[in-house]
Amino acid sequence: MKYLLIIQGENSPELLERLLRVCRHRGFSVQKISGETTENEKSLHITLTVCSDRPVSLLSKQIDKLFGITQVVAISQEQAIRASA
Amino acid sequence: MNGANFIVQALKQQNITQVFGYPGGAIMPLYDALYDGGLDHLLCRHEQGAAMAAIGYARATGRVGVCIATSGPGATNLITGLADALLDSIPIVAITGQVASNLMGTDAFQEIDVLGLSLACTKHSFLVQSVEQLGPIIEKAFQIATSGRPGPVLIDIPKDIQLADIAESPLFEQLTIEQKLTFPLELSLIRQAKEMIKIASKPLLYVGGGVGMANATQALRNFIQYTYIPSVCTLKGIGAIEHNSEYFMGMVGMHGSKAANLAIQECDLLIAVGARFDDRVTGKLEEFANHAKVLHLDIDAAEIDKLRIADLAITDDLNEVLPALEVETYISAWQKNILTMKQDFAISYNHPGKMIYAPALLHLLSEMKPADTVICSDVGQHQMWVAQHMFVDRPENHISSSGLGTMGFGIPAAVGAQMARPNDTVIVVSGDGSFMMNVQELGTIKRKKLPIKIVLIDNQRLGMVRQWQKLFFDGRYSETILTDNPDFVTLASAFDIPGETIVIKSQIQGALTRLLDSDGAYLLHVSISEEENVWPLVPPGAANDKMMESLQ
Ligand SMILES: Cc1ncc(C[n+]2csc(CCOP(=O)(O)OP(=O)(O)O)c2C)c(N)n1
Repeated sequence: MKYLLIIQGENSPELLERLLRVCRHRGFSVQKISGETTENEKSLHITLTVCSDRPVSLLSKQIDKLFGITQVVAISQEQAIRASA
Repeated sequence: MNGANFIVQALKQQNITQVFGYPGGAIMPLYDALYDGGLDHLLCRHEQGAAMAAIGYARATGRVGVCIATSGPGATNLITGLADALLDSIPIVAITGQVASNLMGTDAFQEIDVLGLSLACTKHSFLVQSVEQLGPIIEKAFQIATSGRPGPVLIDIPKDIQLADIAESPLFEQLTIEQKLTFPLELSLIRQAKEMIKIASKPLLYVGGGVGMANATQALRNFIQYTYIPSVCTLKGIGAIEHNSEYFMGMVGMHGSKAANLAIQECDLLIAVGARFDDRVTGKLEEFANHAKVLHLDIDAAEIDKLRIADLAITDDLNEVLPALEVETYISAWQKNILTMKQDFAISYNHPGKMIYAPALLHLLSEMKPADTVICSDVGQHQMWVAQHMFVDRPENHISSSGLGTMGFGIPAAVGAQMARPNDTVIVVSGDGSFMMNVQELGTIKRKKLPIKIVLIDNQRLGMVRQWQKLFFDGRYSETILTDNPDFVTLASAFDIPGETIVIKSQIQGALTRLLDSDGAYLLHVSISEEENVWPLVPPGAANDKMMESLQ
C-alpha cells in the first residue's frame, strides 16, 4: 500500500535524517519526498510518499513520538486520489 | 563561568547528585568542572560500565541516571548502554564530549558523528551548537528522559562550547514549573472498559514494566484487591505484584510458568497493563491469547495495535486509569481453576545427586536475603532462574536487562544500584560468560568499596546458547564451551574481593550465610553441571501452551 504523509516539525539539522531512519526501520520505503524550511528555517515541512505492507499507523505513531515533530497526517493513496478528483 | 561549570550547575539544578563516567580529551573541560563542582562522580572502568551503572541507579530509584564520556571511542562505548536503556524505557541522560566545532566534519582525532550514531538507540539526542543552548537543552533532555514512556537522551557537547564563557548561571529564571498536562479521562472509554471487565468470565492481567515506570504499583495492587483478577507478569514486570498474591502466577512467555502460559491461552479478556506483546512473551503471535479480547493500557500510543490489535485501549496515566476501572467481578470458577493450576504446576526443588541445583540455591538465597534487597541479574540461563525462583516485592528490586538482553549488564547495574541505595543489600547473579563481559567493573567495586554480593553460576558454558544448540542445533556446541575460564576466586581477589567456590549441595547454606554476612563485597562462585536447562521453554515459533518441560 502507498501512503502520503504530511509532516511538520521544528527544524533541526538532523530532523530529516531522524525521520527517514524511522521510515526505513519500521518497514516503509520512501518513494517520493519533498520538503522545505519555512519561517527563517525555524520549521520544516515535508511530504513523503511511502510504501509498505504494514498499516501506516505503525509509522505515523512512531513519527508522532519524535521530539520536534508538531504534526503528522497520513492518508492512503486512494483517499488522496479521491480528495483530488 | 564557562560552559562546563554551567553543565555541572544545571545538573545540580535537576537534583542530580551522582554521575558515572570516564574522562578523555574532548570532555576534559567538564571533568575540570567536576573536580570541585560538588557532584559525586564515580569512575567506572569502561564507558559501557558507566552507562549501565547509570541504568542500575535509575532502576533502583526511579530517578534519572547520568553518565559521561569523551568523544569518539568513549561515546561509541556508551552505545550498548543507551540501547539497553531504550529497550527497557529507562530514563538516563548521557553527556558526551565532542571535538571542537571548527574541527567537526574534518575527521579530527577522536571525532565520530555521535548524533548520527545515537539516532537508533536513544529516545532523543542533542548536539549543542552554542553555549546559550546549554541551559534549555539540558532542561529538555531531563524532561524527555522522564516524560511519557521514559528513555535515554544523549547530549553531545563540542569542546569549545564547554570552554566558552557564559554569563548567566542556570539557577535562576529557567526553573520552569513542571507542567504536567493531564487530560481528563475519556469517560466513554472507561465505561466500555469496565463493561468488558464486568462481563468477562476469565479475565487476566498481563503486567509489564510500565506499571513500575509509572509509579503505579500501588494503584495496580488496589485494583487487584478490588477485582481479584488473576495475573501474570513480564520479566520487567516482576515485583509490581506481591509474589504471594493469591491469583498471581509469575512470569509469562518463553520461560514463563506453566500456569501463566496456560492461563494466557485460556483467558477471555486480557488486560495488558504497561506491557507491549514482546515476542519473548507472546510466542506465536497469532495464537497468543487467541480466545481473548484485549484491553490495552499503556502510556505509549505507538504500542497500541503494534503487534496485537486491541479491542479497547487507554493511553492515560495508569494512576488515573486503574482506580477508574475498579469494578466487581464474578469469576469464582476461573479463580478456582487458577488456584488448581498453581497447585498442580507448583515448582519442585527436588533434585537428585550431590551437584548443586541453581534454581534451589537461588530460591533459598531469596528466602534468606534481607528485606528490600536489590537483585541484579546478568543474561542467560541464570537470568531466567532468577526470574523464576527469586522473588521481590518492588519492581525497583529486580534489575535485569530485559529488552536488549545485554550480557555484562549485571555487575555495572549492581554498582549503580548500590550507589543509589547504600543501605540496602545488592546481590548480582551472573554467569561465567556474562561475568567476563564487564569484569573490569570489579575495579569500580574496589574503588568505592561497594559491598556487592556476587553470585556467579558457573556451568563452564555459554549456557543459554548451549541449551538451544542441544535442543535445536543437533547438539553441535559451536563456541559455547568455556572450560578454559579463569580461576574466578583468584580473579576477584586481585580486586580485594574475597570469595569461595562451592560444588555440592551441603555447602550451600554456609556459603550463602557468609555471602550475606560479609561486610564488603563477596564472590560466591557456584559450580554447576553444564547439562542443566531452563524449563519450561516455549520453542521459537510455538504457541505458549506448547511448552517443553524436559529433554522429553
Ligand atoms: C552482549 C551479548 N552477546 C551475546 C549474547 C547472546 N547470549 C545470550 S545468553 C548467552 C550465554 C550466557 O552465558 P552465561 O553468562 O555463562 O550464562 P548462562 O546462560 O550459562 O547461565 C549468550 C552468548 C547476549 N545476550 N549479549
